[in-house]
Amino acid sequence: MRRTRAVEAWTIEPLNRFVVESGARFTLLMTPAGQVLAQHGFTRAVDVMASAALGAAIFSSTGEIARMLGEREFRALNHQGRQYGVFLGALDTDRGKLLVLVVYGSDSSLGLVQLFFDDLAEQLVVAAPVPEVRRGPILAADFERELNESLASLFGR
Amino acid sequence: MSLVNFTTREITCKIVYYGPGRSGKTTNLQYIYGRVPDDRRGRMVSLATETERTLFFDFLPLELGTISGFTTRFHLYTVPGQVYYNSTRKLVLQGADGVVFVADSQVRQLDENIESLQNLQSNLIEMDDDMRSMPLVLQYNKQDLPPQLILRPLELDEALNFWGLPSFASDALRGVGVFETLKAISEQVLRKLSEEASQ
Amino acid sequence: MTHPYVRLLDQVTRVGGVRGVMLVVADDGLVVAESLMEGIRGGAVAALAASLTRRLAMVTKTSAVGELGFLQLQAEEGTLAIVPAPAGVLVVAVGGSDMNVGLARLEMLRVAEVVR
Repeated sequence: MRRTRAVEAWTIEPLNRFVVESGARFTLLMTPAGQVLAQHGFTRAVDVMASAALGAAIFSSTGEIARMLGEREFRALNHQGRQYGVFLGALDTDRGKLLVLVVYGSDSSLGLVQLFFDDLAEQLVVAAPVPEVRRGPILAADFERELNESLASLFGR
Repeated sequence: MSLVNFTTREITCKIVYYGPGRSGKTTNLQYIYGRVPDDRRGRMVSLATETERTLFFDFLPLELGTISGFTTRFHLYTVPGQVYYNSTRKLVLQGADGVVFVADSQVRQLDENIESLQNLQSNLIEMDDDMRSMPLVLQYNKQDLPPQLILRPLELDEALNFWGLPSFASDALRGVGVFETLKAISEQVLRKLSEEASQ
Repeated sequence: MTHPYVRLLDQVTRVGGVRGVMLVVADDGLVVAESLMEGIRGGAVAALAASLTRRLAMVTKTSAVGELGFLQLQAEEGTLAIVPAPAGVLVVAVGGSDMNVGLARLEMLRVAEVVR
């Protein structure tokens, strides 16, 4: 069964609601740099990351076109395929700017996705926490040792 | 910008391979992709032209494992090297946590290396960053070519490495120096991330 | 200048009790043209009406009763009427409980003929 997975828990409820209401097949919430905060429907982690990187790239490259036209940015984009459509929307929260990538099929529509994206954006803006400022180092003093071991195993050394 | 989540204890960092056209940025990623087990890496995405030159970027997500209790991921990107793709380079550079500058060691490519390094500097400055604050390592690629065609690492250090950054000789096609470069930039990126949080 | 489609819709809005009418792309649920009174969320009604029509069209097809020709939803405070036009466009009308549904249907069918 497809399900929602979130790196940041505050995103789950709004995202679940959006998926049910809009009939979206896949939904991805990410930062403008393509880092995934939550996803629904993707079954393999790898494709999530590739989709996020590509979605963020689409958004930033069309943003350049927007600036050429004197627009600040495009708030939403849509790509229409034969079986699937891809919708990309942006929203500003206390957590910073976020992007939502939605893949929808013939059982939904751009109109539905747009409609419920507005609701999703509102709910995410309300739910987004102000980023907490952490004191003290994140990593242990000898993190290099662990890093080296990880990289060595990664490269089969 | 790195993504650190304290609840799920995850870190995601973005590392960009920068440098002039055909210096071996994509080759670095391809070598890493080929060496890393399937379960530790994602799909490598290459947005390339018909002639296989990078048009927008290459992208490779890597699972490093657990470091200080944090599941750590690196997203590796390359930029297109050709001079006229600067707007694309700037987009890929956005949010970078570290940069690997891949120089082409061939003597005839020295001007291109300098131009690309200057371009990196001006793009970083435009993003309110600079060479001193951005974790950065240099890689001198194609050191396998005949000696008369290339500059040695010391010569390249003199020509390019004004900041005394870590530099590595490499032959990315065969993987020489690729691991060392990734290790060095990883250390720098994670150290900066940890130090920033402790301020 | 008013779009010709909007002028076309006026023949429906003139019907008693009609508060708004739209041309909606059946596949996308997006509004092509609209003539609505204040307070009607055209985009939302269009998206949901298109979604509903798609599903009901499947029901009529599965039931072997032919193509969906006209859809009327009678609610507590008004009526929603939908006519699927051959060109993949829906004519969607929103009215109060006093809406003259028969006449509205006639005019909506005429609009559907024109946008064919």
